Amino acid sequence: MKKKIVLGLLALAAVLLTLYGRDLMGFYYLLEHVEATTEAYEAEGPWPHVADSCYGCHGANGNSQNQRYPSLAGQPAGYLTGQLQSFASGRRNFANMQPLAMTLSEAQISSLAAYFERQTPLKNHWFRADPQVQKKGEALAASGACVACHGEKLMGQMQFPRLAGQGYDYLLAQLDAFAADQRIDPTGSMKAVTANLSADDRKALAHYLAALAPANK
Amino acid sequence: MADKPTSNSSFGLQRRQLLKIAGASAAIGGLGLGASLASASESSQGGVQDESILDVAIIGAGIAGLTAARDLQNAGNHSFVVLEARDRVGGRVLNHDLGSGYISEVGGQWIGPGQTAVADLARELSVDTFPTYYEGKTVVLGGEGRVAIDLHGTFGTDETIGAKLSALSRDVPCGAPWKSPRLVELDKLSAGDWLAQQNIKPEDRQGWDTSFLLTCGVSPAKMSLLHFLSMINSAGCDYMKLDSIKDSAQGTRFVGGSQLLCVKMAEQLGEKLRLSCPVREITDWDREVVTLRTDQGLIRARRVIVAIHPALCNQVKFQPALPAGRAALQQAWPAHSPARKTAMVYKRPFWREKGLNGHTIQIKGQVLWAWDNSPPGGEIGVINAFVVNALLPSDLKDAQRELTQIYARSLGEEALNPIAYYDHDWGRADPWSLTCVSAIPPGFWSSHGESLRPPCGNLIWSGTETAEIWAGYMDGAVRSGHHSALQALSSLRRV
Repeated sequence: MKKKIVLGLLALAAVLLTLYGRDLMGFYYLLEHVEATTEAYEAEGPWPHVADSCYGCHGANGNSQNQRYPSLAGQPAGYLTGQLQSFASGRRNFANMQPLAMTLSEAQISSLAAYFERQTPLKNHWFRADPQVQKKGEALAASGACVACHGEKLMGQMQFPRLAGQGYDYLLAQLDAFAADQRIDPTGSMKAVTANLSADDRKALAHYLAALAPANK
Repeated sequence: MADKPTSNSSFGLQRRQLLKIAGASAAIGGLGLGASLASASESSQGGVQDESILDVAIIGAGIAGLTAARDLQNAGNHSFVVLEARDRVGGRVLNHDLGSGYISEVGGQWIGPGQTAVADLARELSVDTFPTYYEGKTVVLGGEGRVAIDLHGTFGTDETIGAKLSALSRDVPCGAPWKSPRLVELDKLSAGDWLAQQNIKPEDRQGWDTSFLLTCGVSPAKMSLLHFLSMINSAGCDYMKLDSIKDSAQGTRFVGGSQLLCVKMAEQLGEKLRLSCPVREITDWDREVVTLRTDQGLIRARRVIVAIHPALCNQVKFQPALPAGRAALQQAWPAHSPARKTAMVYKRPFWREKGLNGHTIQIKGQVLWAWDNSPPGGEIGVINAFVVNALLPSDLKDAQRELTQIYARSLGEEALNPIAYYDHDWGRADPWSLTCVSAIPPGFWSSHGESLRPPCGNLIWSGTETAEIWAGYMDGAVRSGHHSALQALSSLRRV
């Protein structure tokens, strides 16, 4: 009986030690995480940043994992500046973005655009490509000469956005908006490009672009 | 139906019947009854005599619009209609049916101390309340780290900072922040500007970021300090009554879910409520009779209670154009806080027997805050969460898998086997909410405060954003509904 109790106590001690040890490690890792994220954060300036207000929809460092909310990472500063100004003036119509863009000063717009341009775009991890649709989209991208404006790897340049690895739902919504004259680009090219595309074509094109891995800069 | 004035002869008939019985009763403040009487007999005073013309058209069947309708009805005025764009009532409150009589709230869900208007309404509608489950340890996750800690029904915020904010809030009246004696000094600051001066430790910063995202819909750098202080002022100048759980604005839930309030109010309206009836254009708002063009034809009314979010008003065409001040307010009203809320359903709230309260706070992760949203008896287990929309995949299966893995780390392996998952992104679900709480930016109230409430012609502005107390909350919606009904009745009396 006594032996049983001793054994029991020993077992209990072992359990406690494991639990306590695990808690200690958990706490240690948490502190480590706070330290690492703080250091990375403060490299961009003291807390809190204006760019924090983009985080919810556009993700950590401008990489959105959500197909409907665009990634800003690696977008050309010229494009971002132009879009923020267009939202603020009402030239580009999106009810959620307009009032937020109106609050930004010119200096804030420049600094946000520069910040997101610096960030490394990640692959559109959650998008599952269908090889056949992807192929159709690739052919459409070639015939539409997307690279002429959006750059050889479709990584964007000047006022033209990166398309490679952008969210599928977002890309499709934009192609549909251009086709329906609900979004207008200054050069008018997007109207011309989308005019020849059926609804299925637009889906295939969005599919191809969403699956395309962003090239290294 | 299209473009023909809708017939409302039954309303006219009811009104005449009402005239007979109304004289003797004293009712809900002579104001209400008097108003309805006056308007009913206006034809003898040379007003427009046309029974298709209603006294009041209410736009929006959320808590505010339905409360206004209920008040009109209680005051004896039956000459009104409620126009709702969606095919359901509730606006930003919504129940998700989990089956077997259980629900989980998808939109606004809590009330707290000082939210007496909504508590009163619930009492009248026989909707019971129960406390949010908070007893036990909250789990904080970050990277590989995990700590379980009893926060005693709070979010673990530094209460000395909270106390400083509470003290400052005394100078910012919740009903009119732009009338603060410290307007100039406070309205140019963001909450972030202020927090940056408080020597907040790195490990506490995420807590502030998260609490601003949840309570204000934006991170501190874009939140007006003045507006945030006005929210604390609503909470009786006590920060902990705003941003905590126990004895705070996240502390109490409704049995049957918050949407039940709206469902019960709607039941009393019968055909006066029109669903799937968005208002596209409002003409002659500056004349005696206002015309509303809806997807179900034209409605004509003497007064219009606009019980929708200010930013949604931009989707309605106004003829003539609204006065510059009001138009500018609508245009600038922030609409970038459409929350995404998820519900993970389990057979039982298994975490409770482990001494956990089911709450998870993740540092720089997908989950801002997850909490035990099980029904009052805990018959099934529900973990609700506000998530960072961009960090969680949009595909529901992927999102479910990601979240169960997080919950497995915070609550245990049992979390890997949910029986259902529900995910609602208010920004995508439909176009009729746009956003949640108001992320008012610095400078907003100095520019636009005076345009918030004054009616424009016969348009009466309602909705929680116009409330004198608890603006942005369900309680504010109820208050604004009461207020707009009184305004309509009182002004009709003077016709």
